[in-house]
Amino acid sequence: MKGRPLIGTFAVLGYIIMIVPILFVVAIAFTDSQTLSFPLRGFTLRWFGEAASYTPFTSALLSSLGLAVLSTALALAIGIPVTLAIQRGKIPGKSLVEGLFLSPLVVPELVVGLALYQQVMVGLNQTALVALVIGHTVILLPYAVRVTGASLALADPFVEEAARGLGASPFKTFLTVTLPLLRPGIFSAALLSFITSFNNVPMSLLLQSRNFHTLPITMLDYIQQSYDPMIAAMSTLLLAGTVVIAIVAERTVGFAKIFGGINK
Amino acid sequence: MTIAAEFIGVSQSFGDFLAVDNLDLKIEEGKLTTLLGPSGCGKTTTLRMLAGYGTPTKGRITIGGKDATRLPPEKRNLGMVFQSYALFPHMTVAENVAYGLKIRKVSEPERSRRVMESLDLVGLAHLAKRRPKALSGGQQQRVALARAIAIRPALLLLDEPLSNLDARLRVQMRSEIRRIQAETSLSVVLVTHDQDEALEMSDTMVLMREGTIMQQGAPEQVFPAPANRFVAEFLGYENFIDDPRRGLLTVRPEHLRVAASETEPAVASAGLRLPATITSSAYRGVDLVITTAVLNAAGEEIPLVSTVRRDSLAADFMGHNRGDKVTVYTRDVDLVALPG
Repeated sequence: MKGRPLIGTFAVLGYIIMIVPILFVVAIAFTDSQTLSFPLRGFTLRWFGEAASYTPFTSALLSSLGLAVLSTALALAIGIPVTLAIQRGKIPGKSLVEGLFLSPLVVPELVVGLALYQQVMVGLNQTALVALVIGHTVILLPYAVRVTGASLALADPFVEEAARGLGASPFKTFLTVTLPLLRPGIFSAALLSFITSFNNVPMSLLLQSRNFHTLPITMLDYIQQSYDPMIAAMSTLLLAGTVVIAIVAERTVGFAKIFGGINK
Repeated sequence: MTIAAEFIGVSQSFGDFLAVDNLDLKIEEGKLTTLLGPSGCGKTTTLRMLAGYGTPTKGRITIGGKDATRLPPEKRNLGMVFQSYALFPHMTVAENVAYGLKIRKVSEPERSRRVMESLDLVGLAHLAKRRPKALSGGQQQRVALARAIAIRPALLLLDEPLSNLDARLRVQMRSEIRRIQAETSLSVVLVTHDQDEALEMSDTMVLMREGTIMQQGAPEQVFPAPANRFVAEFLGYENFIDDPRRGLLTVRPEHLRVAASETEPAVASAGLRLPATITSSAYRGVDLVITTAVLNAAGEEIPLVSTVRRDSLAADFMGHNRGDKVTVYTRDVDLVALPG
């Protein structure tokens, strides 16, 4: 930042713009008042208690967790072999394959959601859960493919040949060399996918049903009807969970590696 | 002479590109053989086929007298050192070296003994517990060597092993690899594009160009008698003179002398003695590099290069100016006649 005052100022401004509104939400979660208002009045933890015992939230939390775990597992199950094929395989049109799996990043989620609604829920008469698992898996695929591959892409491309030369069969090479190199990538891809699914709104909004709501959608519904600090308390809890996951990801792999290995 | 490995009429092509063209080559047991040539000459492709990382499109490869043409790398028992070293980043130095022994199910006390023995050989026993990332390039390279040697390979294969080291370390590692080769009596095949490296290290050097062998033999046989212009140029012969009587002659810059006047010196008729004009001269510390122009038999002007050793550090830079008329000459023994 030294010697670049303009960039430094913008960076600080950026942080302020991003963080300050969040701090307000966190602060309001502790207010002893009936509405989401500022300035704060008193200090209470009761909104946390109410949020934790509000059944629509708790059941939606379980739904969201289940959905996130399921779609993360599926995305990795598809993404890891694809990554291996792209990074190590001798297949033609690698960039085409990679492009295909990264495309959910640019295709509007509402379009995918609508298609799934028509084809899976109406057409095949499946439940919202099935459609949501498919939808979230599609959204998570770019992370599963890209983030998983990052650690492998940075590794020496000849390590597998070296293992073969030392006597390891292709399978043994995969177990003892490729997989350990892939592990940090898989771990961070899993964390990132989990957070992405857990926080998703557009897809979940389109594919919700009467008996299956994700937490963000339930919170959205709630905020349209009531305007009390319980929603701030719930948001604060979510924020805390996300921060914990982010810290774990940073400690084990590092964000630079997760987001394309910029610093290596 | 015992043969450790042999190529019999081996070709390999990638699409339209013929990387190795009908190669016949014997690798002698217990000797160091270098494959030498410019990039794209097929030397690395040849080494990779020997290691099993590429299958010949034609011909056969034998290792220890047995056909190995289609044998996968893990069945060949060869120790390969990659240009990038290819160490396993998630294992310690000792685990890297132990890898091939574990695969071979060498039991524990014996395994540790051989790991330490290999690390001792390369002088890195004290770094056994480090990760490769914590080592310098030279140390990583020694680990790669130790890892390849630990499995007691039938041959040790080195792909440009010194090219990623700095200049001083590179020269030091030449004698280091020779020492290791002597202590283990391994058959070694080394790929390089550096003729000094090949000259210093080889028992046999194999010069390649466009997938075929241009010349092979001991350095002391090949160096004074290049078989053709390509080999001569690659080994640093810079002057080529068409002599109507003797054909194409070549002489190294170090052996082409420059005399200040046109009268001296008297040279035996078998040597070379030509009037020349200096076109440039460059100061290079101990040497002067003097470029001259002579007229060939066809009356064309051709450039010749001499490196002239200065007698002492105090010697003058005088007498070598652009445009000076001089005589370039060389002794008969320093003149090499090239066929064709």
